[in-house]
Amino acid sequence: MDPENLLKILPDPVRHRVEPYFDALEVMTSVKDPKVLASLGPASVRGLVFQRGKQGQPTLIPATHDAYFDWSYPSDQPEMLELYRRAKEGQWNGETYLPWATDVDPLDPEVPVIPEHFLNFDAFEEFGVKLDARERAQLRADMLAWQLSQFLHGEQGALLAAAQVTEAVQFFDGKLYGATQVVDEARHVEVFHRYLDTKLEKLYQINDNLFVIIDALMGDSRWDMKFLGMQIMVEGLALGAFGTLYKLTKEPLLKELLRNVIQDEARHVHYGVLALREHVNHHLGEGERREREDWAFEVAVLMRNRFRAYEVYEEWFEHKLTRKQWQHVVDTSPGMQEFRHVMFSRLVPNLREIGLLSDRIRPHYDRVGLLRYMEGKAAHEVTGDQMLAELDGRPQLSAA
Amino acid sequence: MRVRPLPVRRLGDRLRQLGQDVRFATGRLRGRRPSPTIARPVRSHRGEPRPSRSIQPRPVEVVRVVRETPDAVSLYLREAGGAPLAFRPGQFLSFDVETGGRVHRRAYSLAHAAVPGREAHVTIKRVEGGKVSNHLNDHAAVGMRLRVLGPSGSFTLDETAEHLVLVAGGSGITPIASIAETALLAHPASRVTLIYGNRSEADIIFRERLARLADEHPERFRLAHVLEAGATDATAATAGRLDGPTLMARLEALTHADDAGTRYYVCGPSGMMDAVRTALVAAGVPTGRIREERFARPEERTSVGPELGAQRVTLRVDGRELELVTDGDTLLEAGLAAGATMPFSCAMGGCAACRVKVVEGQVVMEEPNCLTAEERAEGYVLACVGRAASPCVVEVEG
Repeated sequence: MDPENLLKILPDPVRHRVEPYFDALEVMTSVKDPKVLASLGPASVRGLVFQRGKQGQPTLIPATHDAYFDWSYPSDQPEMLELYRRAKEGQWNGETYLPWATDVDPLDPEVPVIPEHFLNFDAFEEFGVKLDARERAQLRADMLAWQLSQFLHGEQGALLAAAQVTEAVQFFDGKLYGATQVVDEARHVEVFHRYLDTKLEKLYQINDNLFVIIDALMGDSRWDMKFLGMQIMVEGLALGAFGTLYKLTKEPLLKELLRNVIQDEARHVHYGVLALREHVNHHLGEGERREREDWAFEVAVLMRNRFRAYEVYEEWFEHKLTRKQWQHVVDTSPGMQEFRHVMFSRLVPNLREIGLLSDRIRPHYDRVGLLRYMEGKAAHEVTGDQMLAELDGRPQLSAA
Repeated sequence: MRVRPLPVRRLGDRLRQLGQDVRFATGRLRGRRPSPTIARPVRSHRGEPRPSRSIQPRPVEVVRVVRETPDAVSLYLREAGGAPLAFRPGQFLSFDVETGGRVHRRAYSLAHAAVPGREAHVTIKRVEGGKVSNHLNDHAAVGMRLRVLGPSGSFTLDETAEHLVLVAGGSGITPIASIAETALLAHPASRVTLIYGNRSEADIIFRERLARLADEHPERFRLAHVLEAGATDATAATAGRLDGPTLMARLEALTHADDAGTRYYVCGPSGMMDAVRTALVAAGVPTGRIREERFARPEERTSVGPELGAQRVTLRVDGRELELVTDGDTLLEAGLAAGATMPFSCAMGGCAACRVKVVEGQVVMEEPNCLTAEERAEGYVLACVGRAASPCVVEVEG
């Protein structure tokens, strides 16, 4: 029997209890490649079934990578050295550089933190859920708090993963650069946490699917998988999310915060492209390359399908909507569509650039509607300033 | 060989985790689920930003450039994030401007009225040979990012004053214009008299703005221009240099009578300021009712620095004593670097926010600065421009 139909005939209270398990099952059955399943499967169980990120205690993820030392200090990657130099100059102090004195009222209609049309409110009506103006404003504010909470959790993942990547990377110039990224991520944790803590005064739990990705790449022993996961996929996701919010918010402190974070993130993805392009094209066998190509595809689909703010659903609509109905609301919300668009227009060209978008895999991307992003610019062709200009709708200088 | 780290303890951790996992997995089936939000611990950030631990300027963006005269340009500024710039009329910002490979710090007064809706701007007049003023006059453009500290300074509007007598020379008009306009707009019981000296008519900054204020407030605002050259009937100005006799003659012509409710504000070239002060004091005005804003030309400032060598400084702050060694850096730089909480604002000797008391030893300051003779006599120095010249004990007063 189709699990979908099985869910439908279950009484409401039972369905609520088992729905998450069907979700987990769906992830595991949708992954076809056994090697990818070996990487994502155990992480899915820990994240979706055991909900390790929500157990209310610190999570321990054992590290299995090798710390790579080189006592000859080679000058091996001039482009990474250049990034290192730019990163040093681009440092900013999250405490003094942002206008923290700004009064933030997430319910103020004059200064909307996210726009009225961010969510598809018509869909709520269709499902018979009525929300008055105040509830709509509150729901939008909660969606923002959810997004920023996921950014914060993602940044914690990035902080620890960047430290691991710095240990494991085999380019010496990459290690120097990597240290600046660790500082960048710490600053991002600082500013997102401060914004949530003092301005929105709300913090959501980590989304189970985000936990799965972080768990999978933190525990992987292969340095290039960490790179692919963190520098390309998670950072790509972050750039998409930050970019969307930067574009949509009218709240001045948040806008300034995101502007500065985006500048840093642009460097991070650039670094990922530099390191992986070299490694994938010159150091990996075809079998290994394929495995990474499949892994990246599965994670891309996971990211496309699964960031659906179920935590907000549980808080607001658990007894009014089914998860499927909530999915429909989220999938048809203009803000979430914009978010996917920005995310994949950055991610897909980067995968192409590092050699993980061969003719073999393209039909799969085409099938899920992602191949149209193929022709975009990869990270090493776009600076943070250009990304911001694009989001602002400003005329752009031609890329160097 | 690999050493296994405490296998028994790790096994115990694993088992505990497994138990927790099973509880969560089965709890869900019984209808329990973790709360979607995290109960927040005690706030880690309280209210306003804590005092900064370093002298780090913040960015502002130039959003409009207006040429006021051939030698003066106004830069309209936007704070990062668009937050309004809160200031008291008469205060200034410290700008760190890079030219010729060096960063120079300069003070420019905010010239707009401190009332809602006015766009923040500073007005910068060329100084002969001045690196920063000429750089900004030549290169300021929309989109330019500058780094600032402040607003700072105590040359500010006394809201209890009944009559403000403002004396400005040249670019000294910038804080004066802000004080005058704010008083006229926000304090309807006050009266304002402004005597403004310039070389020629073309040098008058804010000429139209001042004329408009005079038109709008004929009963409360009296304006008199003094021009060294080219005074005609059309300019409605007095000929001559703005000095003591000229000032007193103008005030007399305006039938000005000094009283306890009058406050005098003076800002301009130092020669003019000295002459005005002398004339006012001679006319019997108590010095407590005279306020002055002096901006030394940076080229004239004395510098002190590395030649002082390493000195041991005991800093009494926050109820404890910190032992520092300064090596040519200022007391403020050294204190902040050691983690002390030290107040400061302009970081260029112009506002006295960083005033500290020297209990023992010798501290030399860059001169001139805004410290008064009385404060000097009591042993105060400015930490931002003061450096230890001998072993010292310095107290930061709460």
